[in-house]
Amino acid sequence: MDRKILFFKKLLVFVIMVIALNALLNIVYNRRMYYFRLSRQQDEQFEACPDSIRYLMLGNSHNRVDPAILGPGFSYIMPKEVYAQTYYKLKYILEKTNKRPQNILLSIDPVNFSPRAENELSFDGYWRKYLDYFEIARESNDPGYLLNWLSGNFFSYAGNYRYVLMSLQFRNADMQVVKNGYIPARDYRNFAKERNREALGFEIATVYLSSYGRNPVLGETKYYLKILSLCKQYRIRLILLRMPMSDEYLKYAHRMVDLEKLDRAIVTLTRDHCNNFLLFDYRNEFHGKPGYFFNADHVNPAGAAIISTKIKEELGKKQ
Amino acid sequence: MLFNSIGYLVFLPAVVLLYYLVPFRFRWMILLAASYFFYLLWRAEFVLVLMGATLVSYYAAVRMGKIPDKKQRLKYLLITLAVNLGMLVFFKYLVFFTDLVNQFAGIAGKRPVIPWMGILVPAGISFYTFQTIGYTIDVYRGVVKPEKNIGIYALFVSFFPLVLAGPIERGRRLIPQFHAEHSFDPQLFTSGLRLILWGMFKKVAIADRLSMFVDPVFSNIGYFHGPEIAIAIVLKMMEVYADFSGYTDIAIGSARLMGFRLSPNFNRPFSARSIAEFWSRWHISLTSWLRDYVYFSLPFTFRGRKVNWRMNLNLVIVFVLVGFWHGPYWNFIIFGLFQGTFMVIANVFRPLMTRFNRVTGLDSAPRLLQGLNITATFLLICSTAFFFGPHPLHDSFYMILNLADFSQTGHAILLPLLKNGDLLLGIVLVLFMLWFEYLVAMKSFASKFLSKPVIIRYAAYLFMVMFLLAFGVFSSQKFFYFQF
Repeated sequence: MDRKILFFKKLLVFVIMVIALNALLNIVYNRRMYYFRLSRQQDEQFEACPDSIRYLMLGNSHNRVDPAILGPGFSYIMPKEVYAQTYYKLKYILEKTNKRPQNILLSIDPVNFSPRAENELSFDGYWRKYLDYFEIARESNDPGYLLNWLSGNFFSYAGNYRYVLMSLQFRNADMQVVKNGYIPARDYRNFAKERNREALGFEIATVYLSSYGRNPVLGETKYYLKILSLCKQYRIRLILLRMPMSDEYLKYAHRMVDLEKLDRAIVTLTRDHCNNFLLFDYRNEFHGKPGYFFNADHVNPAGAAIISTKIKEELGKKQ
Repeated sequence: MLFNSIGYLVFLPAVVLLYYLVPFRFRWMILLAASYFFYLLWRAEFVLVLMGATLVSYYAAVRMGKIPDKKQRLKYLLITLAVNLGMLVFFKYLVFFTDLVNQFAGIAGKRPVIPWMGILVPAGISFYTFQTIGYTIDVYRGVVKPEKNIGIYALFVSFFPLVLAGPIERGRRLIPQFHAEHSFDPQLFTSGLRLILWGMFKKVAIADRLSMFVDPVFSNIGYFHGPEIAIAIVLKMMEVYADFSGYTDIAIGSARLMGFRLSPNFNRPFSARSIAEFWSRWHISLTSWLRDYVYFSLPFTFRGRKVNWRMNLNLVIVFVLVGFWHGPYWNFIIFGLFQGTFMVIANVFRPLMTRFNRVTGLDSAPRLLQGLNITATFLLICSTAFFFGPHPLHDSFYMILNLADFSQTGHAILLPLLKNGDLLLGIVLVLFMLWFEYLVAMKSFASKFLSKPVIIRYAAYLFMVMFLLAFGVFSSQKFFYFQF
């Protein structure tokens, strides 16, 4: 019996050690992770901005529309954001704050609708304040989403060693660069100077678009439709953006997805569920100009400035 | 419920706790209820198939137990074989055979003869039907006495650690363990936890990481050439091994927590010096099953004389079955055919190879010879990995053709992949896995480690848990062998 009691004591000590160390790593990660530091900056600025927001930018890092160029607005984008996250963030803003956006700028790139995007929920340590994981699990009939809730609350760092390394690299980064929520496009590389652009374009297309298979179908539409529904309910105009893609990325994207068919399907879907939207297409805007890209699928600051200016001009014409 | 899910993290401790808390006579009931609950979570209607396989084989075995004459027992064996194999064929192979018939009809210029049927394959059917068939053959042969308690027998078929992907257990090994009272054994319990941890490490840190690079190659075959395909093929073998052996480790570890000892399924297969040895180390419970119930049942004589070509033919038949067991695809049949053919070639050329080794002096350098044999075996196994998967057959041949094409390497995706930390980390972890399993196989390592002070052991376990959390890939969940 003594042997068994001793065993259970040792097991208990071990479990306590694991829990303590895990809690410590979780806290440190949530405080120091580079993107979380940026998002805290965004949150503070969002709190301070006026209740009426003319332009609210949502979505992932492709949406680099700078409010400083566009006009009064706020950029509330988050890297790797999928529509499920956008929907819950917008719902939170509309239902739990006094902020009222008049226009929402949202990117509608092929990656946003890929079947892969359906089950990609990243950075749960940040998203746990917005997302109702239980509702997502219930609606999708997939209890696996509860894992995201668990990891967001208790294992934020799990599987994210690359972001630990990134955070170490940017440990002294200036957080004051965030203005009106806008996280400046990255500029420490230039796609034009990459020797292997073809391969980089292929890599991005493979990672994000190969899940479409040979018959492109809209993978993730449920939360896109919910975003449309919220916009309709709160009388918000939706400004949809096809953001620039590098020639190399576009070449392989065409091979993996029937982009024309996909675009038509997205427009039809939007038209069926939303009566107040605009669509700006900048996908080929930088054809033959790799210098405006940071990598195959992200514009750099120069590219972001051009796109922001063009949107401002287009909106000026519409008004 | 997957082993690497949060659900299992709650389910397993709850079952283990209940198991030890209830009196011995109720324990099998707890395990049976837990096993059916575990299986039910996949798809409720599949339970009916599991129950059907259980009831038919139970009834046939009990009847056979009452008949002393082996010839009279045969009809019950045939009934259970027909039902179990019939279910397996219906759920798993019917689509393959109907496609085949329709293709022949197409060649003859006719319309499809049989309409296409979408049939869902019940999870684990290839594993538990083999388990029930093995058991009834053993009863028929008189090797094992039929189990009278239907509950215990149902538990043998549905025991949750092994119902989805094995190991394929034998009745004579597992059923007596359900009858025996297991008191809590701290040593066995700890070894179970260690195995679960190691299995999780192989699955989450290695297999799922490698799949990030292997899957794009296998799903976009036209874009990859030369060295990329070679790397993907080697990594695929490692991925499948880490995935399936990781699953098996978790299964065996889970059973150990309750005092049960399941059969090993892997024994460092990549250290095999021949294809035959490889298959005695890889998925051992399947190959030993086919050896005992199929291979030795095939004829070895021709016109009353024992002949070598019969043995070789039997080998090819058994390995085509091994391939076909994995799935209803031509790919797997060809994979099995290659394995059988390699073994026949090795058998035929053995005298020549022995002479070659003597003449070249290799037999006087046993370490070098061993190294060469291990490398050759590994390369041969990798050369058949093109066919190991449910992708279209022409994709396999396309990959083989592209393997020789080095013209595209200039703008290949190899370089960015190599720059990717995850791929390099995956390769390092594979090497660590192979090295560590080599160390564990040397018995002195385990005893040396267990004799270390508790602080060192706990620090090692803690490091492993934290490493798993920090470097695991938590987006992919399925185990590779579940599709079989």
